[in-house]
Amino acid sequence: MRMSGLVGASALAFILSSGAFAQEASLDLVEPIAEYKIYVSEKLAKLVEDTTAFTDAVKAGEVDKAKELFAPTRLSYEAIEPIAELFSDLDASIDSRADDYEKAEADPEFPGFHRIEYGLWEKNSTEGLAPVADKLLADVKELEGRIASLTFPPEKVVGGAAVLMEEVAATKISGEEDRYSHTDLWDFRGNFDGARKIVDLVRPLIADKEADFLKTVDANFETVDTTLAKYKDGEGYVTYDKLTDDDRKVLAAAVNTLAEDLSTLRGKLGLD
Amino acid sequence: MSSPDPQRAGGPSSRLMTIALVGAGVLVLAGGGAFYLASQRTVRPSEPGTIAVRVGDKSCEPMDLTVPAGRSVFEIENASNRPIEWEILDGVMVVEERENIAPGFRSQLAARLKPGVYDITCGLLSNPRGKLTVTASAHSEAEKVKPPLKAFIGPLSEYKVYLAVQSGQMARAIGALSTAIDASDMDAAKSAYAAARTAYRYVEAVSGRIADLENAIDPVATYLAGREQDPAFTGFHRIEFGLWREGSVAGLKPVADKLAADAATLRDRLKAVKFEPTDLAGNAAREARRLAEGPVISGDNLYANDEVVEFAAAVDGLEKPVSLLVPLVTEASPDVAKATTDAFAAVRAELGKLSGSDAAPIIYSDVSPDARKALAAALVALADAIDRINPALGLE
Amino acid sequence: MLDPKDLQRSSYHLNRRRLLAGLGATAVGGSLTGAASAETMHHSVADAPVANAASQLDSVPHLGLHQAGVVNGRPANGMVASFDVLASNADELEALFRTLTERIAFLTVGGSVPMLDPKLPPADSGLLGPIVRPDNLTITVSLGASLFDDRPWLAPLKPRHLQRMMRFPNDALDADICHGDLSLQICANTQDTTIHALRDIIKASSRQMILKWKQEGNVPVITPGPDGRAESARNFLGFRDGSANPDSSDVAEMDRVVWVGADEGEPAWAVGGSYQAVRIIRNFVERWDRTPFGEQERIMGRTKMTGAPLDRRQGSEFDVPDYAGDPEGKATPMDAHIRLANERDEASKAHIILRRPFNYSNGVTQSGQLDQGLLFICYQANLERGFITVQQKLNGEPLEEYIKPVGGGFFYTLPGIRDASDYLGSSLIAAARGA
Ligand code: HEM
Ligand SMILES: [Cu+2]
Repeated sequence: MRMSGLVGASALAFILSSGAFAQEASLDLVEPIAEYKIYVSEKLAKLVEDTTAFTDAVKAGEVDKAKELFAPTRLSYEAIEPIAELFSDLDASIDSRADDYEKAEADPEFPGFHRIEYGLWEKNSTEGLAPVADKLLADVKELEGRIASLTFPPEKVVGGAAVLMEEVAATKISGEEDRYSHTDLWDFRGNFDGARKIVDLVRPLIADKEADFLKTVDANFETVDTTLAKYKDGEGYVTYDKLTDDDRKVLAAAVNTLAEDLSTLRGKLGLD
Repeated sequence: MSSPDPQRAGGPSSRLMTIALVGAGVLVLAGGGAFYLASQRTVRPSEPGTIAVRVGDKSCEPMDLTVPAGRSVFEIENASNRPIEWEILDGVMVVEERENIAPGFRSQLAARLKPGVYDITCGLLSNPRGKLTVTASAHSEAEKVKPPLKAFIGPLSEYKVYLAVQSGQMARAIGALSTAIDASDMDAAKSAYAAARTAYRYVEAVSGRIADLENAIDPVATYLAGREQDPAFTGFHRIEFGLWREGSVAGLKPVADKLAADAATLRDRLKAVKFEPTDLAGNAAREARRLAEGPVISGDNLYANDEVVEFAAAVDGLEKPVSLLVPLVTEASPDVAKATTDAFAAVRAELGKLSGSDAAPIIYSDVSPDARKALAAALVALADAIDRINPALGLE
Repeated sequence: MLDPKDLQRSSYHLNRRRLLAGLGATAVGGSLTGAASAETMHHSVADAPVANAASQLDSVPHLGLHQAGVVNGRPANGMVASFDVLASNADELEALFRTLTERIAFLTVGGSVPMLDPKLPPADSGLLGPIVRPDNLTITVSLGASLFDDRPWLAPLKPRHLQRMMRFPNDALDADICHGDLSLQICANTQDTTIHALRDIIKASSRQMILKWKQEGNVPVITPGPDGRAESARNFLGFRDGSANPDSSDVAEMDRVVWVGADEGEPAWAVGGSYQAVRIIRNFVERWDRTPFGEQERIMGRTKMTGAPLDRRQGSEFDVPDYAGDPEGKATPMDAHIRLANERDEASKAHIILRRPFNYSNGVTQSGQLDQGLLFICYQANLERGFITVQQKLNGEPLEEYIKPVGGGFFYTLPGIRDASDYLGSSLIAAARGA
C-alpha cells in the first residue's frame, strides 16, 4: 500500500468520525420489502388483466375502445417500473420508445405499448397491430411470472422511489413518453404513486431520525398532488398539452427535488 | 514514571491521526483496548489463553507464534532496558500495536486476526522481526464467508411474502369450505378442505410454533382426553372427522366459522412475526424433525388417511425458506448446499415410494411401520443437512 | 524492474514515523515520488494533456506510415465530423483525397494565410489570425462502409470488417448523428484550432463532400506530479478514464493492437490503417450524481478518488487488478465496467483496444437536463475482435442505467501519407483503378 492511499484514507477516517456515514441496513426492512412485493404483485395482476382487455380491443379493431384503455392500463406498469426495469429485455419490449430505434417509428423492431399508441393515435388504426398486441400481452405475463419468483433486492426497492423520479425528470417531464396520445399525466400519477408507496413503507424506520427529511418529501409530493389535481378529468387526466408552462415548471422543480432527496433514502437506510 | 511525556507517548492529536490513518485501511480492528489507555502500569489479570511475549534487548521470546484465527490476547513484557513498542504487521500495515511500554512493564493487547502470516516487531527497529502465524479456525472460515446482515433482508422478506400469500390462500379455502358446508355439498367441502390443508402445510413450519392458534386449528383427537368427543376437538380434524368418518356436515358449521376466524388471526400473526436470519433454516429443520417424530410415525389424518399428499406439501413448505438461502449457502459452502438439495431429493424419493395414483390414492393407515420409519429417517437426515446451513453462513 | 512495493515496504516505516513526528505532508510527498519513479513510464494516448505545457507551436508530423491522431497523446480538444461524399468515380475520390491531403499539410504545419483582394471573401476564416500555428493539430481521415457499399467500383475493396454500426441493446441511436461516408477526427490544443481546421476543410471541399454531423469534446488538462507523470483525466462521471489503455509508445504493441498488418486478410491497400469506432454516449449526470458513492465505484470497478482497482484500493490507477484472486467478484464485481471490458486473462488479450475519448457538453435536453457525455473513440486492428466484442461483453452492464449511446459510426482509418509526394488514400485509389 502507498502513502498516497493513506492520505486518502485519512480523509475518509475523519468523515467516519464525524458521523457522516449512514446507519447499517437493519432487519426492520424485511416487512417493508415484503409489503412492497405484495403491492407489486397486486399491480401486476391488474396489469395483466388490463392488458388483456386492451390488447383484445386492439385485435378486435376497436380503435376508440383501445384508445380509452391505453392510459389506465399503463398506470399499473408505471407504478412498479423500478422492479419491472430489472428485466431490461422485457422493459424494452414493453415500454421502449421510438427514439430507441434508429428508424424511429418506421423501425420494424419498435414494439410494445408505444408502438400500439403510435398506430392508434397517429394512424387512427389498428392495422398490423395484432402481432404487436399478442407480443405485448405475452411479455406482460412473462414479467408477472419473473417477478413472482424474484427475491426483491432491498436496495432496488428503496432506491426505486428515486428511480421513478429520475425517470420523470429525465424523459417524461418533456411530454416525450406518450407523445402520440399525450396521456403523460396518467403515467406521472403511476410514477408518483409508486414512489410514494415506497416512502410510506419505510417511513416508520426513519420517522424519528429523519422527520425533517420526510416533511420536505411529503411537501413535494403534496405539490405534485395539488398540481395534478387541477388536470383531473373523470378517472384520469386531460392531455399533456393542456398543462400550462407554469405548472410544468412547478412539477419539474418538485420532481427534481424529490429525485435529489429520495436519492439519499438508500443511504439513510444503510443500503449503499 | 508518573506521567509519560505526551510527545513521546503520542499526544492526543498525533495519536488520533495514526489511528485514523491506519484504522481506515485495516479490516482487522482491535478487539478491545485499541488505545493506550490500557495502562502500562496496572497489569490486568491475564485472561485465560493469554499469549505471553517477552521482548528482550535483541529479540522476542518466542520469535515464532501460532494462534488460531479470531480473538487473541497478547501480554507483552518489556524485558529490555528501553521503552519499546510492539506491533503486529501485515506487510507494511500495522494491524495492532502497543506503544511506549516502559522497561520492566507489561502491556496487554487484544486483536481479532484473520488467517495469514504476520510480522511482529521486537523492540528496536533494527532487531529481527518475529513471525506470527494465524491459522484458519472454524470461526474464521465462517467469518470469511459470512454474508452481511443486509444479505438476509431479501430472503426474509420473500419468506414473509410466501407466508402471507399461503395464509391468504388458506383463509380463502376455508371460506369456500364454510360455503360448501352451508350448502351440504360434500364433494366441494372435501376439495376445499384439501386446498386449505395444503396451504396450511406450507406455513406450518412457522404456524406450528404459535401454540395457542395451533391448538385451536390443528388438534389431533389422539392427544385429547375425550378423543373425538372432547370439547377441545375443534379445527381441521374435527371437520375431517365429520366429512370422512361421519359422512355428514352436521354440526360442522360453527367449527368452520371458528376455523375461519382462527385462520384470519393466523394470517395477521404471520404478518407480524419478526424473523431473525437463523429462523429460515432453524424453523425448517425443527419442522422436519417434528414431522419425523410425530405425524409420519403415527399419522395425523386419522379419517381421511391422505397424509402422503399433505407431507408432500409440507416438504415444499420446508424447501421454500431453505431455497431462499441457497444462493448464500452455495457461495459460503457448496458442500452444505449440495447436501441440502440431496436431502430434499431423498425425502421426495421416499414419498414417491408411497404415492399411489389419483384413482387409487395411498391409504396412510395401510403404510407399514417400516416404510414410515424410512420416511422419518429421510426427514431426520434432511433436518441434519439443514442444520449445517446456519453455521456455514456464520450465523449463531 | 524494481518492484515499487519493495521500495515502499522499506520506506514505509520511516515515513510513518516521520509523519507522527509532525512532518506529515512532506513525508507523504516524498514517498509518493519514490514509489512512482520506480515504475517504468508508460504512455497512453489517453494520458491527460499536461497543464501549461501546451504551446501553439506544438506540432505532430502529418507524414508517416500511419496517420497522426491515433497513437499520439490526446490534446485538450477533439472533434469528430462526419461527411457524405459525392465522388462517383476514382478520379473524383482522388481529387477529394488530394484536397484533404493538401489542407492537412498546411493546417498541421502552419504558415501564413494568403491575402486576397479585399473585394473577395478571404481565403481563410481568420480565426487564428494571419499566421496559422499548428497548435498540436491532427486531422485523421477515415472511411465509412457506405462509401464502399454505394459505389460498385469501390465495393470490392471494402476492408473485411468494415460495416454500418449496428444497434446494441442499450442504444437509442439518432439517425441524424450516425454513420457517414467519411469521418474527420480533428484534435488540437485549443478549440479554435479544431474549428478553424473544420471550417477550412469545409470551405476547400464544399463540392466534394457535405457535412452530416459533428461532435466536439475535450479533456481536462492535468498538472503532472513531481515524477512528471500525469494522472488520467476524468470523464463526466468523475472517474479517471484511460488508466488501463495499452502503451502507445510501445511500437510492437501498437502494431498488434491498432494497426492493420499485411497478414490480417485485409485488402493490400489497407495495410497501415486501422478501424475507428466512434460512439456518442450520453451520460445521465444528474442521476449519476444522485447515486451512492459506493455503487458508483462498484459499477465502474475502480475507486473514484484515485482510480485504483477495487482489490487494491490504496494503490494507484496504474495498478492491475487481480481477478484470478477474486473469482466471485467480492472486490471487483463481476459486472463492473472494467471487469467486463477486460477480464485480463489470456483470451481477453485479443480484444484490447486503444481508447481515445473526449468529454462533450452540448446543451440541455427537452426535459431540462444536461446533455453531456463521452465522445468515445477507439482504434483497433480488427473491428470485430476489438470494439464489437468488447461492447458485446459490456451489454447489460449496470453502467447502462446511466448512459445512452445515441450516435457514432464505424470507419476505416486510411494508411498514412508516406511522404510529401504521396497523398491520403493513394493506395486505395490505385487499387480502385487496377480493379
Ligand atoms: C460513457 C461511457 C463510458 C464511460 C463513462 C467509461 C468509463 C471508463 C472508466 C472510468 C474506465 C476505467 C479507467 C480506464 O482504464 O480507462 C474505463 C475502462 C475501460 N473502458 Fe470504458 N467507459 C465508457 C464506455 C466504454 C465503451 C463503449 C467501451 C468499449 C466498448 C469501453 C471500454 C473500456 C475498456 C476496454 C476499459 C479498460 C478496461 C481494462 O483494461 O481494465 N468503455 N471506462
Ligand atoms: Cu512497472
